[in-house]
Amino acid sequence: MLALWFVTHQTVLSTLNEGAESEVDVDIAGLVDIYATSGQGELERRIADRIALTPSEGSTPHYLLADNAGNVIAGDIASWPGLDARVSEAGVIAIGDQSEAFARAVQLGPDLRLLVARRIDGNDAVLRNVTLAFAFAGTFFVVLVALLGRLAALKLQRRIGQINSAFRDPEAESELEQRIEGDEIDELASHSAKALRRQRNLMEAYKETSEQLAHEMRTPLSHLDNRLLKALQSGPEAKVGERLVEARAEIKRLVQTLESLLDIASSKTRRGDAAGLEPVDLSALISRICDLYSGSAEETGHELVCDVEPGVVIDGEEHQLGRLLTNLLDNALKYVPAGGRIEVILFQGPELVIRDDGPGIAPSDRLRIFERFYRGRASMNETHGSGLGLALAQAIAERHGLSLTLDYTDRGASFRLS
Amino acid sequence: MAAFDPQGHALAGANSQGGGMDRTPLRILYVEDDARSAAAVSELAEQSGDVIVWEEQGSGALLRAGMEAFDVIILDRMLDDIDGLTITKRLRESGIGTPILILSALGRSADRTDGLDAGADDYMAKPFEPEELMARLRALHRRSQGREHSAVIIYGAFECHLKARTAFRDNRHLALSPKEFELFRYFMENAGETVTREMLLRDVWKMDFDPQTNVVDVNIGRLRRKLEEGFDAPALETIWGSGYRILDGR
Repeated sequence: MLALWFVTHQTVLSTLNEGAESEVDVDIAGLVDIYATSGQGELERRIADRIALTPSEGSTPHYLLADNAGNVIAGDIASWPGLDARVSEAGVIAIGDQSEAFARAVQLGPDLRLLVARRIDGNDAVLRNVTLAFAFAGTFFVVLVALLGRLAALKLQRRIGQINSAFRDPEAESELEQRIEGDEIDELASHSAKALRRQRNLMEAYKETSEQLAHEMRTPLSHLDNRLLKALQSGPEAKVGERLVEARAEIKRLVQTLESLLDIASSKTRRGDAAGLEPVDLSALISRICDLYSGSAEETGHELVCDVEPGVVIDGEEHQLGRLLTNLLDNALKYVPAGGRIEVILFQGPELVIRDDGPGIAPSDRLRIFERFYRGRASMNETHGSGLGLALAQAIAERHGLSLTLDYTDRGASFRLS
Repeated sequence: MAAFDPQGHALAGANSQGGGMDRTPLRILYVEDDARSAAAVSELAEQSGDVIVWEEQGSGALLRAGMEAFDVIILDRMLDDIDGLTITKRLRESGIGTPILILSALGRSADRTDGLDAGADDYMAKPFEPEELMARLRALHRRSQGREHSAVIIYGAFECHLKARTAFRDNRHLALSPKEFELFRYFMENAGETVTREMLLRDVWKMDFDPQTNVVDVNIGRLRRKLEEGFDAPALETIWGSGYRILDGR
């Protein structure tokens, strides 16, 4: 901007000076001609005429006719400036206190010289205007460019922000579909919208299917259960009654299996998804569960030791974390023989260890115990249990961004949630 | 051969055996689109002397709940027109505070949370234990009436001193652990009612899921021994397949 101003300034300056220069030269030529043809007297008259005349355009002329000693013969310039008339020197001279003029000197005779000058003060005003124009226009453009830049940045920010917010809340309808500029960001937005829509459709389909499944299973099971209950209330024989009670328990287990399967699926689809998680006091939850299980452990002859560091809080779903722990404790109580020791240890990390000194997990089963419906050989003859406990526990761990692993131990089983 | 009596008493006799816990019948609004479920619950309410008003549609239920007074409302979730969660929200928004129990086929823990978040007071999944449904409805009604127990609850031979946290039977002090006292107190607060495992888990252990093993029964077994040691009459009655009830101990 500054460079542009400088170039313009110099160009305007030289153009203006050239104008003054050519005016001076034309004037000198005329006056020299008059002197040559009509003599000094005529020249003096003409100079006086010209001084008296104010030009309608161009700059005011000034003259000085003097002898070699510098004595003024005619003209309105007070004294001879430092211009050499013998070589027709030209240059800028001062006129009065403030004005500047372009002047040229010529030697007319052996003791006569002439100086013609044109004021170039007007040039300053023009140059000032040029500078002012540049200052205003410059500031204006700088501000404009800054504003446009800011606007573009804001717009970009908003568009990226839209994509981000769409991902933050994938369930909400987003407006990513509209194409605004047709550029790369639009393409990114459109890909994001497609991915989100696909995800939303999958989640919806999953939710719908699981709700229908639950509804279509639970309602008839409910009717069936109701009939069994009626049969029970009609006072059947003792043996029949026992069977009826067993049948009702079977219905309950069926429902629980269905629920566990749906929960595993739901936990898996929401793996690592922080939505819906709230701070859970893991220490308090585990203490309550230990309290609940302590009686059972005592009855079955197990030693249940709970070592819980207080104040361990994680973002999670409390009931799911509770199920994770109860599944592991149920297993321990089921497989560890009486007299065995079961430890529940929680410390900051968070890290939860549930270990026992029971028969442990056979090496061949190590990899498969977390699979759905897999039961180790030790439990093959067990009719109870759905074979989903550990699969569900692991799915819940993953949903919380944690992992549930089986430690390598010399004896017993040691599960670690971290 | 002896007849099998799964509950130790007839359903309809719940009042008479309860030791004088006479109660006014509940007026219940039941919103359910499945006629068979509706019939089953209506029969149940009839047996316990309560009145069921059945609404098949959510819109009708909204109208009715706004115009008539009910003691409790039972809502199904998957209705034809408006779903139960929306009905719950609308009722709460319009300032109707009648206790709501959602009875739904959507029974996973996440579904329960949704229901309670929407403003329901309780949530039960189908298939359900009829005794438990009625017990929970009565508990909801009691709570909404603000009938708080005084410092001492007396039921038959039992006394529960809430402030001192002590328990007596026939004026004899019962040495209960803190958790056993909580259990005893819960039974006393619900004297005459069936208390289910789910209720105990939820209210005493603050857990809204059901461990698959018999942990609750074991805890009840221990409490029962403490309550019955040195006495002839039983203290707790097992309601087969559904829960327990405290007896008057005489």
